[in-house]
Amino acid sequence: MDAHGTRPADAGPGLPEGAGQDLDRLLGRVARGDERAFASVYDQLAGPVYGLIRRVVRDPAQSEEVAQEVLLEVWRNATRFDPAKGSAATWVMTIAHRRAVDRVRSATAAAEREKRTSVLLAIGDDVAEAVEASLERERVRRCLDSLTELQRESITLAYYGGYSYREVAGLLGITLGTIKTRIRDGLIRLRDCMGVT
Amino acid sequence: MRLVRPDLHLLAGAYAVDAIDDESERVRFEHHLRRCQQCTDEVRGMAATTTRLGFAASAPPPPQLRDHVLAAVSRSRQLPPVVDHSSAPSEPRPSRMPRLAWAAMAASLAVIVVLTTVLVRTQGELNNTKAREARVNVVLAAPDARVVTRATSAGGTATAVYSLARHALVVASAKLPPPPNGKVYELWLLGPPRVRAAGLLPAARHGHTAPVLVAGLASGDQLGLTIEPTGGSSRPTTAPIVVLPLRV
Repeated sequence: MDAHGTRPADAGPGLPEGAGQDLDRLLGRVARGDERAFASVYDQLAGPVYGLIRRVVRDPAQSEEVAQEVLLEVWRNATRFDPAKGSAATWVMTIAHRRAVDRVRSATAAAEREKRTSVLLAIGDDVAEAVEASLERERVRRCLDSLTELQRESITLAYYGGYSYREVAGLLGITLGTIKTRIRDGLIRLRDCMGVT
Repeated sequence: MRLVRPDLHLLAGAYAVDAIDDESERVRFEHHLRRCQQCTDEVRGMAATTTRLGFAASAPPPPQLRDHVLAAVSRSRQLPPVVDHSSAPSEPRPSRMPRLAWAAMAASLAVIVVLTTVLVRTQGELNNTKAREARVNVVLAAPDARVVTRATSAGGTATAVYSLARHALVVASAKLPPPPNGKVYELWLLGPPRVRAAGLLPAARHGHTAPVLVAGLASGDQLGLTIEPTGGSSRPTTAPIVVLPLRV
């Protein structure tokens, strides 16, 4: 697997075996302006992209707007996708998450953010729901369950909640140093549990 | 540990979940990332991990999204590939503002493609069109240009690209039904101090109206569209069929 002595590229996490490489290839065609290849990419990734954005942004109309921006960005920037740095799925989902976070950070004034805090109480259920919706649900759930409560909460609030680590530290009442460590340790544990190389 | 900045290294997790909201802190971490292979590997592994979390949140997108995206794709030019200058550092994450501006630009470009396709019919028109296009382009190319689209209550959509720096905006419409006999569509700048007439929408061609340039945009203005008697009114006489918020 070790290509050219560098570390192996991600094998399309969250996708059925083989689909990841197909996506990488498809994105290569998209980079050369192939609209039909883009339609295939859309069909494979629009659900994850939209679902993730919904989870972070919550408002359906805004989520749709952000999803459209993200997918158009995938088309426009496909020429800059570098498979050596990670899989196509990871590239697209990273863009989606950043855009979603940008939207909640720029659009939400402090008041709006406070309103969302009340919604946070339900976030555990939300994640369970989300996880249920996915093909990978068992594995992801088992891996999330393998974390300490603090790790799980930190990652959930930061990733699905779109909060900065400072905000998460405030919400959980722990120090900045602790939160950085918890997020990192939790992600490393998740990574090992999921068998991501 | 022979890491130069162990505290920076700790940020890998927060970075991977986009949880560093302090621009300078993120820039510092990215700078560190470029020189720390171990951190780069770690962040990549984490990105692959969060991808799984993302997939676990999959949800069916709204059915109309596919058509919208594919239509936007068919009229959007792709960025040229980055030419590798051998030792060029991995592409840093651009700062938030430029990225927002870039999104606006991308959308503006999509609009401009639509707009220019409905322009240009005869040679005489071409000259007018050129002058108009030049003025329109100044707005579309403004660094602070933003795009807003709204459905109108009469059907179809109105789109504005606006720039407060240029004190101007460009409006076009799609699939707006023709106004009733003896009527026209009139634009208004709805300001907090007062309402100003902002010109008439031209007749649609192939479902699109050519771009109208509106000057004198001030902070706090919104853009309204009403149905008025032919020739237009000096004040709106009907309720707007759409109001476009022009947020800063």
